Amino acid sequence: MALKKVDVLIIGSGHTGGMAAKILTEKGIACTMLDAGPMINWERDRTLKPVSTLPYRGFDAPGRLPHVFQSSEFSANQWIDEKVIPYNYPAGQQYNWVRVRSVGGRSPYWGRQSFRLSDYEFKCKDHDGFGENWPIDLKTLAPYYSRVEAIFRVEGAYDKLPQYPDGNFVEDKSPWSQAMQRFIAAGTKMGVPVTKPRSSLGTGGMAASINLLIPDAVATGKLTTIPNSIVRQITVDKSTGKADGAIFIDRHSHREMTIKARVVIVAAGTLETTRLLMISDICNGSGVLGHHLTDQIYGAGIAASVPEARNGKATRTITGGGALIPRFRNLDTKTPGFLRGYAVNVSASNGPVDARWFAEYGPALDKKMDEYSGSGFTTNIMGETLGHYENHVELNKQVVDAWGMPTLTIKTKYTDNEVNMAKDMVDTTAAMAEAAGFEVLAKNYQFNPPGYSIHEQGTARMNDDPKKGVVNQWNQSHDVKNLFVTDASVFPCAGWQNPTMTMCALAMRASEYLADQMKKGVV
Amino acid sequence: MKRREFVKGLAVASAAAGTALGQQKAPQPKSPADTPVVDQGAQATAPNTASAPAANERLQRVAQFHTPNIPVTQPDVVATTETRYFTPARYATLVAFSKAVMPGSQGYPGAIDAGVPEFLDFLIGSSPSERQAMYNTGLDRLQADSMKACKVPFAQADAKQMDMVIRPNLRAWINDHPPTEPYLLFVNQVHRDVREATLNSPAYAKAAESAGARTPRLGRVVWPLDPGIETWVANGAPKGSAPLSKHAHA
Repeated sequence: MALKKVDVLIIGSGHTGGMAAKILTEKGIACTMLDAGPMINWERDRTLKPVSTLPYRGFDAPGRLPHVFQSSEFSANQWIDEKVIPYNYPAGQQYNWVRVRSVGGRSPYWGRQSFRLSDYEFKCKDHDGFGENWPIDLKTLAPYYSRVEAIFRVEGAYDKLPQYPDGNFVEDKSPWSQAMQRFIAAGTKMGVPVTKPRSSLGTGGMAASINLLIPDAVATGKLTTIPNSIVRQITVDKSTGKADGAIFIDRHSHREMTIKARVVIVAAGTLETTRLLMISDICNGSGVLGHHLTDQIYGAGIAASVPEARNGKATRTITGGGALIPRFRNLDTKTPGFLRGYAVNVSASNGPVDARWFAEYGPALDKKMDEYSGSGFTTNIMGETLGHYENHVELNKQVVDAWGMPTLTIKTKYTDNEVNMAKDMVDTTAAMAEAAGFEVLAKNYQFNPPGYSIHEQGTARMNDDPKKGVVNQWNQSHDVKNLFVTDASVFPCAGWQNPTMTMCALAMRASEYLADQMKKGVV
Repeated sequence: MKRREFVKGLAVASAAAGTALGQQKAPQPKSPADTPVVDQGAQATAPNTASAPAANERLQRVAQFHTPNIPVTQPDVVATTETRYFTPARYATLVAFSKAVMPGSQGYPGAIDAGVPEFLDFLIGSSPSERQAMYNTGLDRLQADSMKACKVPFAQADAKQMDMVIRPNLRAWINDHPPTEPYLLFVNQVHRDVREATLNSPAYAKAAESAGARTPRLGRVVWPLDPGIETWVANGAPKGSAPLSKHAHA
């Protein structure tokens, strides 16, 4: 078969690959999208079963996924096995790289919290001197956020807080429970805002590229999707310095294939994108490719009980519902001990409480759980981490994956900034809970290892100065002008926010810019 | 050489059969069930007969076969696991600890009736060494604490004596963060393990069914995806099949 040159080659089919496919095909541009994993058949690949029928009673095979805390025996097959695609880190610097390979990438599994960044993030260096500003601001990205929010059907309330920009919402008008009202009042006295959460409703219970983005591209008739295609190198025409396609390997047979393309979009997820660019030995004129790795800390928080809801008295009026505390530290004043800030997920549940919250056992524990059922209240941190230059990844050519590709060594660690931030969060929310009349049952100052949040970012950051960034404000490589990076690797800072809305807004903006440039014949 | 000749012969036979069929007037499929299909196994062993109408009809019938409903049972209902990992002394301590923290109540089985010690012997026996060490060291410490405080082995202690040893080491904790001090980690994490292994056991599910309660802990099992890359790696498929540079195999 003759080698055909495709217009745009998209590597990765998650949220940003899907968005690029949607925008470009709707503008009449033919796209070929490669994904390293199989096509999911949701009905065939999932079966409802009781845990008692699983081989390991829910514990899963020992040692199978030691770095995927989110995994269970139910879901183990959806995550990448690190024996198949290994990575490593120096002793004492654990990194939890949580990966999925199937069409749609990680997009079917995200938590769906949907936030805009504010200018506290976009202009972070101006605010506190650390890192680099983004080359764009909220005003620039706001129109794209609005369109993305409409696609994802983001539910939220309008709070008019500069650090928590409002958006194009399906308005959340649900009433607060009495317990939440008391927690809000306690926060008000302490200068801590408590708002409604913001979340993508999506359709059919899902807000993924496979149901919200890719079907629109398919409908144009201009999208070719090829699963099981592991790109091992982006190829560059030495005479022009432009990308001219890729070499990929069939996941099953290991047959190597070559594809030629006019434009390449890399949307493989922050660390896979970085690995591919490093293996291809491109896009690193700045020297920052692979550096400034950042994400968010998760895991620290408290568990508490709402007394009025105990002993079978829990109703939706008394307790229940979720809330969000947006960043409130280091805005107008400086908090000692740490830069930047954190948000808090707050949840009140009418369901059973967790046995771990009680220092009891046997019948006494059963009695406690019966008594406290319906009264649970928790807070969990989402804290910004700092993307120091030293937090970086390197290619490890000594260890290759199942397809012969060099793997990553990830060298990153948290500092006192994150430790102090977590302490402040736990102490503050415990004080708020106590002021609201709740019983604090457990506090946890420990947070999970880097990577756990699955919000890795920053290793191909954007900056208008080619010496400081891998891509410009249009997600376009400074070095390879017909190569665009659309995932969160381009983020100059993490913020406390779930990155998905920003990733999608940037991918939408970059794709429209690319379409315009292709039309003009510039790219 | 023999294999190559066999494959070559197979290709010729298949092509011949295809040509012969091609000279006939092709019947139009009436429905998906009428679409000619090929039995790959029969074609490999007897290519001439595999494409025969009778063979096609047989294959169509098999393709429409529906699996009969044959109820299946968990092995735990009729069989036990032989314990082989923990030493007898440690296993006796584990049994006593399991019985103490999860005794069972209101018609639901406790840890012993749910076969938890046997299950944990199997699970920990196949676990990474850190987890094994946490169990072994912790069980030894539990025994030592019992001897020190009560002058009896933990397995022979009464409820009050056991409480003296267990209770001071219980902590409240959340999410993935049990206490980090090794012995506190043992007491609290193993308490959790015993509890989970009981609640997730076939015996507990059966008790729930008998009580007319909801099936405990239903979840969506994700099957290996198309067909699961682990299989290919385990079978050594990558080796030499995709040289990364020209003539890398030479």
